[in-house]
Amino acid sequence: MKQEKKSYVKPTIVRHSVGVTNKYGRPPATVPMSRLNGFDVKELVNEYGSPLYVLSVEQLRQNYQDMFRAFSTRYPGARIAYSYKTNYLKAVCSILHSEGALAEVVSGFEYDIARNLAMPGEKIIFNGPYKTRDELARAFTDGAMVNIDNYDEIQVCEEVADELGRKFPVGVRVNMDLNNPPWHKFGFNVEAGHAYEAVKRIQSGGKLDVKGLHIHVGTYVDDVNIYSMAAQGLVNFYTVIKEQLGIKLKYWDMGGGYASHNTLNWAWQSAEYTCPTFDQYAEAICPILLKGPFQAAEAPRLFLEPGRALVDEPISMITTVVSQKRLPGGKRGVIVDAGMNVLSSVQWYNYNCQTVQDSGLTLEDTILYGGLCMNIDVLRQNAVLPPLRRGELLVIPHIGAYNLSQSWQFIYLRPAVIAIDNGKIHLIKASETREYVQEMESVPKEFNTYSIANKN
Amino acid sequence: MSEIFKSEVTLSENGFLFDHGSGLTYTLNTTGQFIFRQLQSGQKSKQIMEKMLDEFEVIEETARKDLDDFFRQLNELGLIDL
Ligand SMILES: Cc1ncc(COP(=O)(O)O)c(C=O)c1O
Repeated sequence: MKQEKKSYVKPTIVRHSVGVTNKYGRPPATVPMSRLNGFDVKELVNEYGSPLYVLSVEQLRQNYQDMFRAFSTRYPGARIAYSYKTNYLKAVCSILHSEGALAEVVSGFEYDIARNLAMPGEKIIFNGPYKTRDELARAFTDGAMVNIDNYDEIQVCEEVADELGRKFPVGVRVNMDLNNPPWHKFGFNVEAGHAYEAVKRIQSGGKLDVKGLHIHVGTYVDDVNIYSMAAQGLVNFYTVIKEQLGIKLKYWDMGGGYASHNTLNWAWQSAEYTCPTFDQYAEAICPILLKGPFQAAEAPRLFLEPGRALVDEPISMITTVVSQKRLPGGKRGVIVDAGMNVLSSVQWYNYNCQTVQDSGLTLEDTILYGGLCMNIDVLRQNAVLPPLRRGELLVIPHIGAYNLSQSWQFIYLRPAVIAIDNGKIHLIKASETREYVQEMESVPKEFNTYSIANKN
Repeated sequence: MSEIFKSEVTLSENGFLFDHGSGLTYTLNTTGQFIFRQLQSGQKSKQIMEKMLDEFEVIEETARKDLDDFFRQLNELGLIDL
């Protein structure tokens, strides 16, 4: 009788080296992730194509609620204004608005998205270094909160106020020497006295009234002390402008920058160990602000403008292995069908990669290449992965921030986005078509003589 | 016919490989060990392929691709000369 054959795994040999376990002695995740938010990953790809962005609505709502609870329980009336630029898919913004988020926008385009989603002006915070005159006029008329970035903008705002024949409340964006290198691009510097001068200048113009202060300390700031210093800086600054210029604030805004659970490329420790909780951020900020120069009843409203901390985790990308190759030196390269055009944050993050199928337990250091015909298209220099074959799938979790809004159409059409909510799948953005990509183009008749010639 | 190996190698029962020439160590999975032992006993790739088809639940096309890849890898690691 013929013996039963053994089950087969792809043959592997792996050279022993440091790195295959992390420094906590834990091997990287090897448990295949065959299901995502309750659905079979293969079936999702069969239905919606690959690569594919997948949003967990539940996780998005949860992140919002966690952050809101952390801040509103420590600072009465604190509000979250979602930073649109992080991911302005209409469905994503709508979910956050339905949870109670305001909109934080940095351009007329984003402003328009918010208004189009029925956000009233008073629930929009308008930041950014470049706002046009027309955009400012619209924002003032709608009652949006406008935070001024520079002197030229003060002037344009005054002209707009003149034209509209009214005095408008404004916020002033400030920066402080908090990090290294410091974020000096936006707003007016406090330590150098520029912020004080700007407030004084605005008040003396008589056309605008300073009612808000705004600071954004950086992005992916995982040191809560920076927020504490910024909060103390705002308190000190408010005390000065209150005493000397008679300013009474309606709001102050701590901006965004809260880290997500992704590990930065150059980080020494994994983000699971370093990413502060919303409670830790709130505890670093709120008690300090509440010691500001006011009675409890007159506390300015506190705004927060999180981006990545809300939307990174709820979105995953599914991608398909295109090829595996051996590089000189023996290292393995794996090419997948998603490139950095749809995962631009690979510049910052060492994304985790999960296999979908059971590919065995022999892990190997691997360069993960994107599918673009471009040498720089590397998704990870060192991913520890089992053997992979063409057609097999990988899930890259936590990619919701910036990758969609910063994606660029290059060589390939951009993928679809689906949202999974309570066991139901919604297509929230269809994959692009050639017609869609070329919709705004035209070819003058004179350029197109060859097609007529070719017909003959 | 172990002369295809560039230097002396020892493969333990559980797949731990020691290269006496370079001092480097490796781990082979079960299929890798199977192929490696065939190589050590002097089998050529065609015979190894047949043995793989006998031994494992695998179709020829997959086995051929995987064997090619495995050989290339051994070659890159400096263990064999293709
Ligand atoms: C003014 C402002 N607020 C909020 C954010 C959101 O930042 P993050 O995604 O780091 O939370 C940004 C992003 O750069 C910003 O410029």
